[in-house]
Amino acid sequence: MFGYRISWAQLAWFGHRASGIGVLVFVLLHIVETATVLAGPDVYNFTQGFYHNLPAKLGEVLLMAALVYHSLNGLRIVALDFWPSTTVYYRPLTYGIVAATVITMVPLGLIMVKDYVPWG
Amino acid sequence: MQVGRTIWGPEDNRRVARARGAQPRPEHGGFETVMWYFMRISGVLLVLLALGHMLIMHVLVPLGGGEINFELVVGRWGTPFWRIYDGLLLVLALVHGVNGARVVIGDYARHGIVRNLAVGLLLAVSAFLLLLGILVILFFDPSTAPAVGPMS
Repeated sequence: MFGYRISWAQLAWFGHRASGIGVLVFVLLHIVETATVLAGPDVYNFTQGFYHNLPAKLGEVLLMAALVYHSLNGLRIVALDFWPSTTVYYRPLTYGIVAATVITMVPLGLIMVKDYVPWG
Repeated sequence: MQVGRTIWGPEDNRRVARARGAQPRPEHGGFETVMWYFMRISGVLLVLLALGHMLIMHVLVPLGGGEINFELVVGRWGTPFWRIYDGLLLVLALVHGVNGARVVIGDYARHGIVRNLAVGLLLAVSAFLLLLGILVILFFDPSTAPAVGPMS
């Protein structure tokens, strides 16, 4: 598809960027939406209502997954930068972070959507 | 500051950093070096602050049968601890995120008017929202918030 082999390092780098930009966009939106709390319960509960449905909850699961991945991959970058000898473990660390993100998101995702899924 | 043993020269630092897709540590000091360290130090703090915030608001709150509404905010921001926590999270997350976006913009538009416009817009919007967020956390007072609004 790309005409050349994509390495895990490139995917980890791209994932870090994409998740970082995604979280930043949400943080900017979150500041505006939280500021409506100054207008009292009537307005604030109305704006929070935008989040109280299944599509928004799935978006929150995606946000959580982005944050978990960005956190773990960021810690990996810090470890490799400050303790270069850990570079030997670069490959298992990269695989481990993807696996850990998927594994933690299963229970977290189920809890996050539990009040909004049809079978909940 | 030299990291690691002598076999890791500046060239190795850059080459290894590029190979794994991270930013190499700037060599000449100044603003970029300060931000390089800031991203790593604030990043470690944000692992605790941001993940903690998400776990409390989106895992523990629904597990306790609650949902995010005005009452919940009044309870949380009734104690200085959560205002300080949220304020620290706001400042660190925004500066960390905006600096990250600045680096990303710089990778696609290195010089010229496109880069200056994009970074300028990013800084203007985020400075305004940072100020708004700080003012909300500092001055939110449920006793003066209007009970009835245009939505009822």
